[in-house]
Amino acid sequence: MEQHLLLLILLPLAGAVLILSAPQRMRFFKAAPALVITLVNMAIAIIVFKKNIIVNFPWAGFGIDLSFRLDHFSAFIIAAVACFSFLVTLYSSVFMRLKPGLKQFYAYLLINLSFTNGALLADNLIILLFFWEGLLLGLFGMIALGNKNSWQTAIKAFIIVGIADLCMLLGIAITGHLSGTLAISKINLPLASPLAIFAFIMLMIGAISKAGSMPFHTWIPDAAVDAPLPFMAFLPASLEKLLGIYFLGRISLSMFQLKAESGLSIALMVIGVTTIICAVMMALIQKNYKKLLAYHAVSQVGYMILGIGTCLPVGIVGGLFHMLNNAMYKSCLFFTGGAVEKEAGTANLEELGGLSSKMPITFFCFVIAALSISGVPPFNGFFSKELIYDAALERGAIFYFLAVLGSFFTAASFLKLGHAAYLGKLNPVHQRVKEAPLAMLIPMITIALACVLFGLFNSWPLDNLIQPVLGQRLEGISFSGFPANTKLIVITIVVLIFALLNHIFGSKIYGSGLKAADYIHYAPGLVNIYAWAEKGYFDPYRVGMKFIVVVAKVIFLFDRGIDWLSSSLFVNLSYGLTGQIRKVHTGNYAHYLSWSLLGMFLIAMFLLYKH
Amino acid sequence: MLLAIIFIPILGAFALPILGRFSLRLRNWLALILILAPFVLSLLLASAILSGKTINITQLIPLGFNLSFSADILALFMALVSSLISAVIILYSFGYISHYSNQNEYYCLVVLFLGSMMGIIFSQNLILLYIFWEMTAIVSWRLIGFFRGKQDILRADKAFLITACGALLMLIGFISIYQLTGSFDIPVIKESLKSNPLPNFIVALILVGILSKSATLPLHTWLPDAGVAPSPVTALLHAAVLVKIGVYVFARLFVASFGIAEIWHTIVPVIAAFSTIIAAGAALIETDFKRIVAYSTISQIGFIFFALATNNIIGIAGGLLFILMHGLAKAGLFLCAGIVEQNTSTKDITQLGGLIKTMPFTAVAFLFCAFSVMGIPPFGGFFSKYLVFAGSVENKQFFISLVFLAGAVMTMLYLFRLFNMVFLGEVKISGKEGSRTMIIAVMILAILSLAGGILINYPLGFAEKAAQQMLGG
Repeated sequence: MEQHLLLLILLPLAGAVLILSAPQRMRFFKAAPALVITLVNMAIAIIVFKKNIIVNFPWAGFGIDLSFRLDHFSAFIIAAVACFSFLVTLYSSVFMRLKPGLKQFYAYLLINLSFTNGALLADNLIILLFFWEGLLLGLFGMIALGNKNSWQTAIKAFIIVGIADLCMLLGIAITGHLSGTLAISKINLPLASPLAIFAFIMLMIGAISKAGSMPFHTWIPDAAVDAPLPFMAFLPASLEKLLGIYFLGRISLSMFQLKAESGLSIALMVIGVTTIICAVMMALIQKNYKKLLAYHAVSQVGYMILGIGTCLPVGIVGGLFHMLNNAMYKSCLFFTGGAVEKEAGTANLEELGGLSSKMPITFFCFVIAALSISGVPPFNGFFSKELIYDAALERGAIFYFLAVLGSFFTAASFLKLGHAAYLGKLNPVHQRVKEAPLAMLIPMITIALACVLFGLFNSWPLDNLIQPVLGQRLEGISFSGFPANTKLIVITIVVLIFALLNHIFGSKIYGSGLKAADYIHYAPGLVNIYAWAEKGYFDPYRVGMKFIVVVAKVIFLFDRGIDWLSSSLFVNLSYGLTGQIRKVHTGNYAHYLSWSLLGMFLIAMFLLYKH
Repeated sequence: MLLAIIFIPILGAFALPILGRFSLRLRNWLALILILAPFVLSLLLASAILSGKTINITQLIPLGFNLSFSADILALFMALVSSLISAVIILYSFGYISHYSNQNEYYCLVVLFLGSMMGIIFSQNLILLYIFWEMTAIVSWRLIGFFRGKQDILRADKAFLITACGALLMLIGFISIYQLTGSFDIPVIKESLKSNPLPNFIVALILVGILSKSATLPLHTWLPDAGVAPSPVTALLHAAVLVKIGVYVFARLFVASFGIAEIWHTIVPVIAAFSTIIAAGAALIETDFKRIVAYSTISQIGFIFFALATNNIIGIAGGLLFILMHGLAKAGLFLCAGIVEQNTSTKDITQLGGLIKTMPFTAVAFLFCAFSVMGIPPFGGFFSKYLVFAGSVENKQFFISLVFLAGAVMTMLYLFRLFNMVFLGEVKISGKEGSRTMIIAVMILAILSLAGGILINYPLGFAEKAAQQMLGG
């Protein structure tokens, strides 16, 4: 069994090396090995599921042991990662076929898979960080394969995530110092001292930035436009979310004793609701299919962080379930976006419309995924959101209110998106648009089906995947089945109906589905905020870059000052000094003689004084 | 054996100009062999020394001027690192320097430089150490001014004056030690000091010498100015060898041999922190390729001092590992700068752009080395960076760790800025890819940076043993 764990890491890595070293001409040799390897990886993930395996051998000293552990939590996420990887690869095999950089694309994909598996399996914080931070390379490479702006976006993503990873590095160092071990399974620290709280915050920054929460999110909408589309479905929508929330779960459930009364819990919830609201407001006004989805990819993280931040079993279960559900419908939505872009040649909503007749299956999958993300019963998103609402209400009405408000806007923006892209008038340019090819449809249909099944039969994922993670904490309660709190369900449904009415109202005034949200966009007060946001005033990356350049200029002046000291001041001083001494050397015999006499006199005085 | 390591390059260096009169090719290869010889010989010593033995050679001379050499794990580690990197740099020089005159002098000086470096590493006597120290100063003075322009010579003078000034203060420190203990021999001094720390003024004097050589604030500005030298020389001086001398002597004297007062464990990190931040800030503004990389070196040296000053085993091992990883990666960056400079005839990054299209290998090697300097896994820099932070946390220096974290963030920013401006965007000056040997050399460094991370257990095991010996013995 041990070798299975290593295979999960080494096999995709070997595949990546193989693909990279294959000659350019063997076109067949790019997608095929990637497909085979992701399939095998999936098989292994299923074989090891529900097993507990520990592999451990000392490696490099200082507690850096090469130790891996498979427990329930990591096993179920590894299985999910394996499924998504396979579906993305299948999808890409058609989508990417004629794109440049195909070889690198698959290689990076497999490297990401390998490193994600490594990070999930690692039982040593350094090994975890090794894989975790190593993901930066795959991220960087995959974004850079996109259009001509993509290098800039890749650098932006790298720097934002890299900074968070550096914070995590310090957090790990402190955690190791406090607990005396780096083994994740052995760490259980109370959040009592300020240092432990600091360490937790540092690790939390790493986790939520990987998940794509605010304020570490701004590269995701950019990447949606610049990077190849399967990348979006693969990393920000599924793998990174799973990984980030996994680690957030690990630190708040087992590594630290996070309590509901603590300020950290409130901080997490605040981050959660802020992310929900701000990102969904941005999503509402987007006019690009992929960018709109990207903001939702950010917004949904907020629910997971809110759920886990409540520190209540119901919230944690809801958060983890939402993580899984979100990865499903979000990658499905990105797949539909890719299908539309590939067939219609654009993702700009102003040019799209009426595609439902041309691409019925894509439209169907879109509808299911959109209903799921909006939290409409009985799809999967509904159940996880209800659990989170339940917990949020218990912790404070304001959190509940904001979470529901987020749902309202989510529903509104998906009504807008669906209306603009699939309904309404068909753009005459798109007369000849066809349905997407089979290899792209299969992943979409599979996931859409899963969204329905995970909703209707939610007791299976909850009982088998999510709830065992919490173990004792649940005290035997199960959250599967239909939610108990009918009051909340009624509110949810009312809110959804309002969203629908709002959409009908909006599209009536402006006469088009795309502009249904314009009255919110151009509402007094909001319009300025939106304008600033579009200009990037709220982008911590841009603001930070401007700030750092100013700081660096000041520093540079200081540095030049030191340089002036050493290359001008001292030089001129010594020139001045030697100039004075030079003047003494007049060549006049009498002067020299008087200097000598003075010197002899001084020596004589000194000797006399000494005796 | 030890004497051979030191004197093969030193004496062999003078044979190179003579051989150069007959065959250029033979001279080049001999230079490489002379550099590889210390590497191979050190490797041969490795098994004995790693088992805990130290090899000593002593020739007694009155008044404490003993000729004594000694090899322990720390010395061996430094010898291996510096000769390995130098060998790659020599290989690169085959391509680079073949365009310029005075090649005989070049090879002679470079080999001589490595020889004196070996002398410093193995010296067990302060005066001997000082002599080799000044030898490196003279050789580097000549190498910085290699192109003989007026500006070049001024810059070389600046470098020499600052480092020599520091060295003289250090010499005063050594003489003060002599007055205190009656010997220049490190073991004898150690014996007579017992557990007393060195007086603070002596530490301060020696520290000035160390900081000037290792280009640390406020004695650092000679290093970016020295970028006028040929690129392999800058790689040799700035990245691999010269700037590491100061760090090494710090480790040798203040960590492995003498005790210093507790206050220095705060002063040195504070100086290092300033140095790191200020150099990183300057690197974000500069527009000259080599000056940016040079400022980056200053910034990273701060990390090494920070690590060594922690005085605990994690920090010291981290510092040593940092010397290795930084040396490899930074040498790679300088050599890439050399390729770009030679093929576009400019170092001004505002005039460069889009070179990834015409120089794909250089760009990739640059990116690899940059990742290693940033400390991104699976490159070697990751582990060294982690250990530095772990060491400082162990010492409860949380605030300074945060400053260094900011330094690490800035490292990422300026390296990406550099990569962006040189290799991405529109092509402004198109240049062809460098010659084959040059590409091979940068690729070796890039791959070694990667291998250093994946096979971290070997170098880290080495560094751990060295740190153990330094603290225990």
